[in-house]
Amino acid sequence: EFNDRNIRVSNGINADHPVGNGIEAMQKCLDEKSGGKLKLTAFWGGALGGDLQATQALRSGVQEAVVTSSSPLVGIEPALGVFDLPFLFSNAEEAYKVLDGDFGERMNKKLEAVGLVNLAYWENGFRNLSNSVRPVTKWEDFEGMKVRVMQNNVFLDTFQNLGANATPMAFGEVFSALETKTIDAQENPYVTIDTSKFFEVQKYVTETNHAYTPFLFLFSKAIFDTYTPDEQAALRECATVGRDVERQVIGDLNKKSLEKIKAAGLEVNALSPEEQARIREKSMVVYQKHMDEIGADVVDAVLAELAEIRK
Amino acid sequence: MQKAIDLFYRVLEILLIVLMSGMAIMVFVNVVMRYAMNSGLTVSDELARYFFVWVTFIGAVVTFREHGHLGVETLVAVLGRKGRIVCMILSNLVIIGCSAIFFWGTWKQLPINWSMKAPVTGLSMGFVYGIGFFTGAGCVVIALERLVRLLTGRVTQEEIEAFAGENLTLEQMAERS
Amino acid sequence: MTLFVFVGSLLGAMAIGVPVAFSLMFCGVVLMWYMGMFNTQIIAQNMIAGADTFTLLAIPFFILAGELMNAGGLSRRIIDFAIACVGHIRGGLGIVAIVAALIMASISGSAAADTAALAAILIPMMAKAGYNVPRSAGLIAAGGIIAPVIPPSMAFIVFGVAANVSITQLFMAGIVPGLMMGFALIATWLMVVRKDKVEALPRASMKERVRITGRALWALGMPVIILGGIKAGMVTPTEAAVVAAAYALFVGLFIYRELTWKELPRVILQAAKTTSVIMFLVCAALVSAWLITAANIPAEITGFIEPLIDRPILLMFVIMILVLIVGTALDLTPTILILTPVLMPIIKQAGIDPVYFGVLFIMNNCIGLLTPPVGVVLNVVSGVGRIPLGKVTAGVWPFLVAQAIVLFLLVLFPDLVIVPARWLH
Ligand code: NA
Ligand code: NA
Repeated sequence: EFNDRNIRVSNGINADHPVGNGIEAMQKCLDEKSGGKLKLTAFWGGALGGDLQATQALRSGVQEAVVTSSSPLVGIEPALGVFDLPFLFSNAEEAYKVLDGDFGERMNKKLEAVGLVNLAYWENGFRNLSNSVRPVTKWEDFEGMKVRVMQNNVFLDTFQNLGANATPMAFGEVFSALETKTIDAQENPYVTIDTSKFFEVQKYVTETNHAYTPFLFLFSKAIFDTYTPDEQAALRECATVGRDVERQVIGDLNKKSLEKIKAAGLEVNALSPEEQARIREKSMVVYQKHMDEIGADVVDAVLAELAEIRK
Repeated sequence: MQKAIDLFYRVLEILLIVLMSGMAIMVFVNVVMRYAMNSGLTVSDELARYFFVWVTFIGAVVTFREHGHLGVETLVAVLGRKGRIVCMILSNLVIIGCSAIFFWGTWKQLPINWSMKAPVTGLSMGFVYGIGFFTGAGCVVIALERLVRLLTGRVTQEEIEAFAGENLTLEQMAERS
Repeated sequence: MTLFVFVGSLLGAMAIGVPVAFSLMFCGVVLMWYMGMFNTQIIAQNMIAGADTFTLLAIPFFILAGELMNAGGLSRRIIDFAIACVGHIRGGLGIVAIVAALIMASISGSAAADTAALAAILIPMMAKAGYNVPRSAGLIAAGGIIAPVIPPSMAFIVFGVAANVSITQLFMAGIVPGLMMGFALIATWLMVVRKDKVEALPRASMKERVRITGRALWALGMPVIILGGIKAGMVTPTEAAVVAAAYALFVGLFIYRELTWKELPRVILQAAKTTSVIMFLVCAALVSAWLITAANIPAEITGFIEPLIDRPILLMFVIMILVLIVGTALDLTPTILILTPVLMPIIKQAGIDPVYFGVLFIMNNCIGLLTPPVGVVLNVVSGVGRIPLGKVTAGVWPFLVAQAIVLFLLVLFPDLVIVPARWLH
């Protein structure tokens, strides 16, 4: 049983981001299931307001859906801060297993309690560091570096703890600030470093993989509850179909973006396994510091599940 | 009564001065600290933003009382006294409607703002978004009082002139560009 | 159809004298109702989220800096400096007005405040020297509107936030077009005063010039701090604004000593009030912008101008004419706020550089400050100079034409904006 529904999905990113491919695939799936009755209308580039604002609009039943990174939402659900913890996942496979498994379900329950239905975990990608000062091969290289971070306590502490001068700044100002050297460095997934042209004003890129903050495909619970069970099931299933396409495209694009960054003459390096272990060790104080506000049970649960996977 | 009202607005003005200075000092100190000590207070960026919200919405009521919000007076300026009064009545009705919706929306949204914490200070966003109560109610009260005087024929010539955009002070013109 | 509901409700409310901010809220309410999604929370949330933006914080600080510049005697020193430099040339006081306007424009972002300071000092001087008074008033009005084009500029900040364009880039791109407006005014002025019999001021002695320049140095330092700070990447626009305010305060209190601690609260209060008038409007506009976007109105308009999408210069020409017409009746900030969400998707689709568009859009809106029936800067000059509005309007038209010519030159040759912007950035 399907009704005509216009589902407005807002995004902070632009239409050419892999989320666009995901939405396309999701729409195709919805068309098949609902006979064209469930229609997604995407609004790109923050046209319907920032991610946090859009999420609040979902909670009050004003807007249907948003694709947002988990980081801005910690003020609504502190447990989401777990995904901001530095060096939590070591590779994408680990992240998929945790997010699509029991732990992801556990977080979904918490989100439902604050009026949000998470249809699926999409991918934003591992965040990496770019800078204009020096190659970063060990944590000591962060010393004194002015790094732009999101306005989020875990990120601020992560970089301050490594000796950097973490500066929160609006995304729209980052390019100019890098170009004029107001800041030395920024951290984002490769795709963003590429599409936002940050590589044009940076010299070094380090594959730090310091955070994997997922995209959440959130739906307003107030609106979701008014949908028929068929509609709800179709949305959940098709969000998963979209997720798989989006993850595939973003994986390919990450490689392409990295090639483009290299071709532009940037020096790209990775942390050696020993340095990775050291930096992870060094960052453990951040886990301790934020344990209480995220919830010790949440942090323990994710670490336990990861230990299980890594066995 | 008039004295109490004047005192109330005086207090609001002092509050505006304090908030405005506060946000300037916070941002300035941050710039200095970033250069002198290579560090900054992330708290002050966030708090300055909230001061800004409060200045905007407290000031909106103060300036509304002074006929400070800019309008397009082209049409009403050519009308006679009667026509202007009719427009003033309609205009106040529109303002009362919009401000009441603003107030009502703030009320309906309070639970989701109350439960949200500011990322750095941890302040409940209810305090920030709750300013809608003040602005919504303030504008309703001012417009209602004007409406009552309009309907009972106690409106002053000065008010009618202000409505038609006549006799603007230099400060009011500055507010318009 | 949604487009007509939007335009109709907005114009209807404004026509009966509802302030623009409330008209925008009203048109938001009507749109919600028309689209069958009436929800009071849309109003409440978008109103307040609009002010909760760090970038917009530059607005109160630049307003404060401008207020302090005037109250602290910095404007006076700048005008003295311009007189000492070019006052003795034939037609010199007109050139003084433009040179001073350009310097003040690089400190303040508000056309009305700059114009008021210029008019108060220069109109009496120009009258005494025998210049045609309405024409002098017109020149000063036309010089005053350069303020929002040369950085810092509240108009660029509002546009940058509404259109999601870098404010630093807009600032740098505004410099050369602003200077072009200034040169066009000087050229026009020299042409119209050619036949007038006026006395030039006596040439200041070298000693006098050194003295006046020395006194003005503190004021002349302000543009260096603002533009240099942003350009060198030392500060973001918001931080530059607060540093400028602190500097103006310091100079006014301790160097020129024209500002007293006792006066300070009044100056701050005025800045706070101006801030809330502008910001309340910005917030209300974000309500209607949200609904315009949710209702997909830009797509409706794109349908109308589809044939122009492949011809960017013609498209720009049509848009600029539209903005000029809107600008006759509407003030600067409301025009930016109402038109940006409607026009930006079209600009992007046509592949026009958003920074280039922003500069021309703001320049055009500034020209609107000079066009009757609603031209705030004309009112300022008329009020400060005690000259009937009709006479100022008559005096302004040669300069209005000059600036319109500059605008349309930039439409025809986009590189005049884009190349220097790239070079300065
Ligand atoms: Na300016
Ligand atoms: Na006009």
